[in-house]
Amino acid sequence: MSTDAARRTPDVSCVAIALLFGRVGLTSFGGGLSAWLYREVVAQRHWLDEGEFLSAMTLGQILPGSNVVNLSVYVGYRMRGVPGSVVAVVALLAPPMLVIVLFTSLFSNWLQGAAVHRFLEGIAAAAVGMTASVGLRAGRAVVATQRWPLALIVAVFVAVGVLRWPLVPVALVAGVAGLVLAGRAGTDA
Amino acid sequence: MRDNVYLQLIAVFVPLSLLSIGGGQTIVAAIEHQAVIVHGWLTQREFVDLFAISRSAPGPGSLMATLVGWKAAGWPGAAVASLALFVPSSLLAFVATLLWRRHDRHPWHRRAQIGLAPVATGLILASSLTVLRAASSTWPVWVLALSALAVFVSRPKVSPLFVLFTAGLLNVLVGKIG
Repeated sequence: MSTDAARRTPDVSCVAIALLFGRVGLTSFGGGLSAWLYREVVAQRHWLDEGEFLSAMTLGQILPGSNVVNLSVYVGYRMRGVPGSVVAVVALLAPPMLVIVLFTSLFSNWLQGAAVHRFLEGIAAAAVGMTASVGLRAGRAVVATQRWPLALIVAVFVAVGVLRWPLVPVALVAGVAGLVLAGRAGTDA
Repeated sequence: MRDNVYLQLIAVFVPLSLLSIGGGQTIVAAIEHQAVIVHGWLTQREFVDLFAISRSAPGPGSLMATLVGWKAAGWPGAAVASLALFVPSSLLAFVATLLWRRHDRHPWHRRAQIGLAPVATGLILASSLTVLRAASSTWPVWVLALSALAVFVSRPKVSPLFVLFTAGLLNVLVGKIG
């Protein structure tokens, strides 16, 4: 994680925002859009650092609404203010909306064929692998400077993934715990 | 006004927008109840099919709402349902973003980021396990997921679409053999 408190946001145009979010919206087969966004926004283009992206994502999880849409509101706003926010959300949603309705109306029967079903199932499985790899990558970045976040990562993973506790209460409790621990450990800032 | 399908769509999806805490999957049962039983926009069977499509198609799973609106009232219905589901929660997220950014120069803001980042990381990892454990996960699905994980970890620059489509084709082949 960058320790540069006055880190500046790169100069990004609304067109660049539209292209990135449109691409993620149209190519994110099998779901896991936050992982796609992480790849593009953090890993490849460095628009935001891991800490900022992931903390915004935590907030987006706690708020109502689609997580990735909430995250897009944040990222768009950070890059280009209100217009950036609107562009990000519209570019993320409108293209796949058109595609999904067109496909459903034209190929409804074809989509229910066994081979197509297996094809989509395989894509979704690989998308899970990609999401997990993004989680590992983010985890490595998060524990790079301090070790205690690892305990929190594991606790959240076990609570939600293994024990299947409800997400929002877990995120709230873990978020508060994270704030307290970061406050104690806080020599980083 | 009870007969106007657009108002009905708004009345169904606006409250769900603000109730979908923790993501779109939490309101699927409520959408199903409203769309199938209360309003009869589509049959149970159609709902299950559309749900499967919205899961595997690109875009967030909540595009389910777009498809329900489309079934109820064509393209205008799709637009109305989508706006009703995404606008209220996005406005709220926008207000939260403004509040969160307001004090971004304070030292505590940086520390708060450090405190919240591990939560999202744990949730990303948990979500992959949740998807795998859900529903109809057979052994080829697990193998494909773990293989994809190995590929993405060892080759971070690989094209995701290439890996995903390869996995799709492999799963079709497994189906032909098995």
